[in-house]
Amino acid sequence: MEEDYTSLPTSHLLGSVPAVAAEDKTGGAARESSTANLQNSPPANGGYQAPGSPYGGDEQATSSWKGACSISSYTPYFNVDSDIVVDRLITSVYPMNDFTRKIDGNPDLYGPVWISTTLVFMLAALGNCATYLMRKRNEPDIVWNFDVTYVDWAACVIYGYALAVPVAFYFLLQYVGCNASLIRLWCMWGYSLFIFLPSSLLLVAPVEIVRWIVIILAGAASSWFVALNLKAYTDGSDLMVLIVSALLLQFALALFIKIFFFV
Amino acid sequence: MAKMSHGDTIPLHPSSQSDIDEIENLMIAGPANVLPARPPSPPRASIPVSSSPFLPSNLPPPPPSAPAAAYHKAPISASPPDAAYHKAPISASPPAAETSRGGIAADGFGSLPNTLTEPVWDTVKRDLSRIVSNLKLVVFPNPYREDPGKALRDWDLWGPFFFIVFLGLTLSWSASLKKSEVFAVAFAVLAAGAIILTLNVLLLGGHIIFFQSLSLLGYCLFPLDVGAVICMLKDNVIIKIIVVSIALAWSSWAAYPFMSAAVNPRRKALALYPVFLMYISVGFLIIAID
Repeated sequence: MEEDYTSLPTSHLLGSVPAVAAEDKTGGAARESSTANLQNSPPANGGYQAPGSPYGGDEQATSSWKGACSISSYTPYFNVDSDIVVDRLITSVYPMNDFTRKIDGNPDLYGPVWISTTLVFMLAALGNCATYLMRKRNEPDIVWNFDVTYVDWAACVIYGYALAVPVAFYFLLQYVGCNASLIRLWCMWGYSLFIFLPSSLLLVAPVEIVRWIVIILAGAASSWFVALNLKAYTDGSDLMVLIVSALLLQFALALFIKIFFFV
Repeated sequence: MAKMSHGDTIPLHPSSQSDIDEIENLMIAGPANVLPARPPSPPRASIPVSSSPFLPSNLPPPPPSAPAAAYHKAPISASPPDAAYHKAPISASPPAAETSRGGIAADGFGSLPNTLTEPVWDTVKRDLSRIVSNLKLVVFPNPYREDPGKALRDWDLWGPFFFIVFLGLTLSWSASLKKSEVFAVAFAVLAAGAIILTLNVLLLGGHIIFFQSLSLLGYCLFPLDVGAVICMLKDNVIIKIIVVSIALAWSSWAAYPFMSAAVNPRRKALALYPVFLMYISVGFLIIAID
């Protein structure tokens, strides 16, 4: 009966969202989709809609896909609490390989999205500060100028990297026969960028040798994290070429961040 | 119509209960003996309060004029409000009765010819007074802050639009180089940011109304607007940092109850962090642009 509601003509009630009363989050086992469905406005009976049926089991992606424009098809990927996210962030800093186990049952996209967004902002802001401080050491009468194009570059590079590299590896892994899950790859690469956040704070220091040490350490940690997790993910099949290339790509990103933003 | 008794897991806010009682009384007593407290605004789709089943919201009765006409009028009056809005908070806006919308059962959209024939100034004044009342509800301390659903029942998008454009213009004026890029970045960050923040709450399983949330995030930019104007006039970095920090704290304080009430308490930090991120990045833009 609940499914019929979504096909009623209700476009005249644009902007209103049905209320959902009960929201039982019992340990994450029963998943209820958010009924905030932008395409399907509340039905003519007054908008009351009982909570969506709980989904059990693991692979929710195929069963709960209501189309690319419906919010509820993406909510399974944001089904995390604050403490879970913090735990994953900490795990990403120490390149231990149980990260793959942690995200296996519940890969989330919250982390990658907001880590990359924070990184874009920090690179743009701190990159400007750092470039200014460095130039001031050489030419004392330089004037502070906020270069807005840093925001454009940071957005393109970070979002492009975090989106495109996992997709490329997904296709490569499928090609060599390894069964890959794009969401987990996105999740892992997204969390691997977290270490650049505190290191970009340290990169502001206008001492060139300190900057190089910081970025080499951060790049190495991040690349090691990616390589270890990719190895654990591909699980035995000998794909050293892929793993090494992932490692090198991550390190190249780290170097690019240093060279472009923290001149 | 089968109303399934689901049992409210979230108890109604006391003010919501009184609203429901008021509406029920008026539905029984009939709309004839209640006069609107102020010239009512044009009708719109009723917006459900987020913590209870769908009920007609607490809006005044639709005036006898077509709803579409009023909205078509509003764009024509876009330029006067831009200048007029600055004095709106100071001038004697329609009396405080505007916050007590005589709750009357929304009896649909009847034939409403009057906004077609009313003077333009009336339309403009009505939109301005709505902006001012929403601003007072959202940004300034008031007794309704604990019930976020009540805070912006009569949401509109004109206020947020003015504030975003004004902030973009102020930043663009302050910049010495690349003025158009600065405006573009500011506008994109704020507009896309509001949409993405709302989507973020919805994806985390929260309960908010999309446009109400956009409206609220736009109104919460008002303190940053004030900060940006002050920073444009005073060029000292220390003063800028102090002013922007105060404006940031004020904006976050305004947005906090709404955002935190919208999601599961275990995910509150996840919903609030992006809000702070956006305001901090805008604050940094204000300080950094010179």
